[in-house]
Amino acid sequence: MTHTDFEQLAAGYVLGALEPDDEHTFRRHLEGCATCEAAVRELEGVVGALAYTATPVEPPPSLRASIRREIGATARPRSARPAVTAPAQVRPIRRGWTSGLVGRIAVAASIIAVLALGFWNLSLRDQNDLYQQRIAAFEQASQLLNDPAAQIVHLTGAGAQGARVTALVSSPKNKGVLVLENMPALRGGRVYEVWGIPKDTEPAQAAIPGGVFRPTNRISVVSFELAIQPNMTFAVTDEPGPAGSRRPTTNPLMTGATTA
Amino acid sequence: MRGARAYRTLQDSQLVALVAEKDAGALEALYDRYGKVSYSLARRIVADETLAQDVVQEVFLSIWRDAGRFDAARGTVSTYLLAMTHHRAVDVVRREENLRRRRTTDEALEFEPDPKPGVEDDVEAAERRDQVRAALAGLPQAQREALALAYFGGYTQREVASLVGVPLGTVKTRMAAGMRKLKDALREPGLSEEHPPWSRR
Repeated sequence: MTHTDFEQLAAGYVLGALEPDDEHTFRRHLEGCATCEAAVRELEGVVGALAYTATPVEPPPSLRASIRREIGATARPRSARPAVTAPAQVRPIRRGWTSGLVGRIAVAASIIAVLALGFWNLSLRDQNDLYQQRIAAFEQASQLLNDPAAQIVHLTGAGAQGARVTALVSSPKNKGVLVLENMPALRGGRVYEVWGIPKDTEPAQAAIPGGVFRPTNRISVVSFELAIQPNMTFAVTDEPGPAGSRRPTTNPLMTGATTA
Repeated sequence: MRGARAYRTLQDSQLVALVAEKDAGALEALYDRYGKVSYSLARRIVADETLAQDVVQEVFLSIWRDAGRFDAARGTVSTYLLAMTHHRAVDVVRREENLRRRRTTDEALEFEPDPKPGVEDDVEAAERRDQVRAALAGLPQAQREALALAYFGGYTQREVASLVGVPLGTVKTRMAAGMRKLKDALREPGLSEEHPPWSRR
């Protein structure tokens, strides 16, 4: 069989129309022939394109529902889970310094530098406790994210007096962690929801939900997942529980933007 | 739940990467883009609504399971998904001989000349259809016929030869020439199959 013969078989092969003996011969040839492999790849594009010539028929809604049902059990959970509820249970920072990854240390160090600039109207002992908890929370957060290049975003806003919210976001992982401190108590049945708002978009239409949470401690760490984009703004709103909303229904308590 | 809108801004290959991480919303976004054309193709080949649904479900579940193995260097997501739909639908039709007999009696195995008015609501799919139709119109009738019998009928080259009444070698030549011309016609610039970001509704 000449190479031209093989090239001719490529068309029948991608159409699934070869006789069994031809198919066998061609498959064996294909394994070692880059030319035929490239030809097959290109011809597969034609097989895909020809699909559009079938008269369009709307699939029944039950088909989507059935696919959704089949994958349901293996899908990743959609809402953010509180990663830690009691800072007292978090590992002390000192162990992190000795056992942690260099990247985590770098993140923790930069966070501590940021924290050191803060002014806190607390007694020295309380302040020390708070620092310990805060550092432990950030240590936990950087461990959860595990990305040395994570960005730090400070969220600010008049909606939550005395609250401090810092987000660590990792765009390669499409993941973030919020460290929340002194969040206002929620009314019954309400939850906080975290959002990512793409640059130059209207939050009411384009905000991407990242998950819901109910902080139960003075300092809480929650992880969230959404498609992180450059220059994205992050926001926290008060939404109806337990599932939150598909779009923000209240003004954000606080917002903050990534710088790059 | 991540809003459906967020996924619309992503390219097909980005959606597949998310599907590999078991992101159900990303799979639904792919279904939004290709579920209809996949179902339309499967239904055309197997001529049975239930079996067509089974084919499409198998295709999307297969992507759900094996998205991590998708190799963007080998081709676009739409090609992968629609070629798989074709492959599985042809398998079904060969398994269920009676389907083929029923279908050939009431539906001609041809590429439809024109879409029925009013059935089209997806602009991109309509554009793609026009491009492929124009490419098909450039083929000699004998080549178009051989391709339609294989593509929609699921017939092997030998079966096509006996249906048309020509030697097997002639069918091989016709299919190869027809596919090559379609490939060249569809490869013109601007006919990218990949969805660019922000282009969706």
